Amino acid sequence: MAISSLAIPRRKASGRTGLHPVWLAAFAGLLCAAPLLAVAWLAVSGPWSDYLAHVAQTRLAEFLVNTAIVGLTASALAGVIGTGTAWLVTRYVFAGRSLFQWMLALPLAMPAYAAAYGWYDLTQGAGPLGGILPTLHGPLGAGAIFGFVFYPYVYLLARESFSAQSADAYDAARTLGCSPLAAFARTALPLVRPAVAAGLALVVMEALADYGTVSHLGAPTLTVALMRAWAGEGSIPDAARLAMLLVTITFLIFMAERALRRRARQTSASGHVRAFRRQPLAPLASAVAILACLTPVLLGLVIPAARLGWRAAFTPAATGLMDAAVNSVALAGVSGLIAAGIGLGLAYAIRTRKLAGRASARIASMGYGVPGAVAALGVLIIFGTVQGWLDSSWRSLAGSPFPLALTGSVLALIFAYQARFVAAAIGPSDSALSRVTPSLDAAGRTLGAGPLTLMRRVHWPLVSSGVALAGLLVFVEVLKELPATMILRPFNMNTLAVTAHNYAADERLGEAALPAVLLVLIALPAMVWIARRITATERARDSVPPSDAIPGMAE
Amino acid sequence: MTDRLRLAVTGAVCATLSLAACGQPEQDSVVNVFSARHYASDQEVFRAFTEETGIRINLVEADGDLLIERVRADGERSQADVIITVDAGRLHRAEQAGLFQPAGDLGGTLERVPDALEHPGGMWFGFASRARVIVYARDRVDPSEVQLYRDLARPEFEGRVCVRSSSNVYNQSLVAGMIAEDGPEAAEEFARGIAQNLARTPQGGDTDQIRAVAAGECDVALVNHYYLGRLLNSQDSAERAIGEAVGIVFPDQGQGGTYVNISGAGLAANAPNPEAGRALLAFLLSERAQRAFAELTNEFPADPSVAYDNDVLEGFAGYEARELNVNALGENGAEAQRIFDRVGWP
Repeated sequence: MAISSLAIPRRKASGRTGLHPVWLAAFAGLLCAAPLLAVAWLAVSGPWSDYLAHVAQTRLAEFLVNTAIVGLTASALAGVIGTGTAWLVTRYVFAGRSLFQWMLALPLAMPAYAAAYGWYDLTQGAGPLGGILPTLHGPLGAGAIFGFVFYPYVYLLARESFSAQSADAYDAARTLGCSPLAAFARTALPLVRPAVAAGLALVVMEALADYGTVSHLGAPTLTVALMRAWAGEGSIPDAARLAMLLVTITFLIFMAERALRRRARQTSASGHVRAFRRQPLAPLASAVAILACLTPVLLGLVIPAARLGWRAAFTPAATGLMDAAVNSVALAGVSGLIAAGIGLGLAYAIRTRKLAGRASARIASMGYGVPGAVAALGVLIIFGTVQGWLDSSWRSLAGSPFPLALTGSVLALIFAYQARFVAAAIGPSDSALSRVTPSLDAAGRTLGAGPLTLMRRVHWPLVSSGVALAGLLVFVEVLKELPATMILRPFNMNTLAVTAHNYAADERLGEAALPAVLLVLIALPAMVWIARRITATERARDSVPPSDAIPGMAE
Repeated sequence: MTDRLRLAVTGAVCATLSLAACGQPEQDSVVNVFSARHYASDQEVFRAFTEETGIRINLVEADGDLLIERVRADGERSQADVIITVDAGRLHRAEQAGLFQPAGDLGGTLERVPDALEHPGGMWFGFASRARVIVYARDRVDPSEVQLYRDLARPEFEGRVCVRSSSNVYNQSLVAGMIAEDGPEAAEEFARGIAQNLARTPQGGDTDQIRAVAAGECDVALVNHYYLGRLLNSQDSAERAIGEAVGIVFPDQGQGGTYVNISGAGLAANAPNPEAGRALLAFLLSERAQRAFAELTNEFPADPSVAYDNDVLEGFAGYEARELNVNALGENGAEAQRIFDRVGWP
């Protein structure tokens, strides 16, 4: 899938690293893909009924149109907000800029369904904003919610990419008489396209795989169709087939995007990066910039959370939240670390340009586009099958079933998280690794560095912020994950997301508020840390000799 | 736990629940519960169960469909002893998948549950019930206009009806009940009438439908009774005001009765702790548990003789419920959904 192939295309590889973690990474990738393959197998082998024909005759067109509207609205909003704010915080100086650097990423920690519940409660006829604002509902409303809470994917990747860009092209365009906006559109934007596309890929996959938001806001997408096949019709094979249709659609979108991108190849030819000097803004422009950065945070996080919190004020707090918080952090932390490792491995696998490496990375990524409940079902099938094998072979050896039950363990959970979210880890690592040009490898090798030294002293400094970003994205995803957590967790183990969901599903918004807000607070330190990392690399680059800067242009 | 204590507890369980076949409950000092419910009342009930019997409860809560798949995938290795869901349709599906075993008469306690709320083969039973009712705007609707479900399908109510999406199982079970009682044609006619009378695209949950009636977006709505009970019992005066702006009608009185659904439970087919499982199932029907469901969740206790302290719920009680066995809701659920698709109830 496209996000795994974000790498800025390299010249026909001449100087590879010589490292071949391909096979290990390919194995991990295929393991992550196993649940999706199990669902695909179910779709192919399960009994056929007339249900799909019934859906095709009645509501399929409606489901497809809604899916398109939700996806387009979400990407348009996330693309504009994410790219625009990333440009502002990397290129300009204004009050609160360093605060916005990490605050802009925070809405990602807000579960989309929680934002939807909050916004709907605010804007429905009986709500405080009813009649003032239109009620947020339908495909446009759902798309808006996804735009508000998922734009940080675009923002984070675009900011990383902007801050790695050289100022040369932009400055040249300005010298040649372009306005700042035109220079941005004609030089900076094309360079940041792979990152924006990667972010949008994540946004669209999240939006299309979502069930809670679209069902609450009355925007029946394909995911609703497949949940109806499962829950209403009771036909899991038909649900699996609709899931495959969903996966195919996301796949086609990104193949098309890749084909477009292939025409716009670029490499930073010299390997020389002259950093931008951030320009201070005039007071009026400064105010506009502040407003532009503040609005997304308000829309995606503060307003819906405040609404939930307002309701919480009238309800007694749920018990056991501390335990749930500890569980959430532990699960998300471990999963984030593992996923960052696998993601980097798969990014190397893509880099080696071996078919097995690229294919496994792409297959591993596809799990992300599947609704969470279906992914959880795939994991259940895998574990059920493996347990069956273990039991029968153990029985023939020892006469008793295998002593360990696989489901209902932390191990099962962590596997499920990797399967679902490793895609989010491949993109950032791959896009960071693309900064390591073959000539850098060659130079390192010429100077006598072995593969390990090369990795440690040349690659790691260049990719570390990308890998940290990958780990962070998976950390936040796991914090919010629901279906797999609900169904695979050990007895009596709660997480914040499960607690929030249980209350919200029961229409008790007040009780849902506290765990939802705690989720955001937990994500906060991680966001601050990653913002620091990226600004640290910026500072290091800012110290390029001043002679590189064109006088009068930079400041 | 010391052996003597365990013996005492075992004795207490046998005595209080008068379980004839207690078997070897010393192996059963724990019971594994897979529940699709997540209510404060259940936490209270589980706590009371452990307090009275000494049997610890291991709990997994998840959405009904996933719960069923988990138990199915685990097969004979499943750790589940008791499976609890909030809809007869889910219980039906779990039973069809062979996930239940008959639990027996639970020391006689099962006799208190009306036959309509039990699986005909004894695989599961309802321990609390919820009615699908009509709420109307007190200032705009005369309750005599909305005494029957099919009143909402009449042309007079065009553009005045609020109801949530047909993806929701409560609507599916309602129409599934109508299929069983009046046949698929009549059920489809009702669904078509509702689809034509919708005031807005279905959105939100049942509480949101009540809010919409109170706010004047529509005049009548179909909801489960306990959502109104929760609003009326709220500590927030604004919530209570919304509840008081609407009236409640238990439809089809004298015409077959109001459709009800259940919160139900059964003993898992491969239960590793069957005796403890039976003890918990029996406890769900004990007076203490039945009171908790009525007082904390605003559900009607399955045992009609249980007294409780909840004025709002008491005000609702005493209506005529359908005699239809709730198993029929599961049997006709898929057909109901196809009807929704055909008539365009989103």
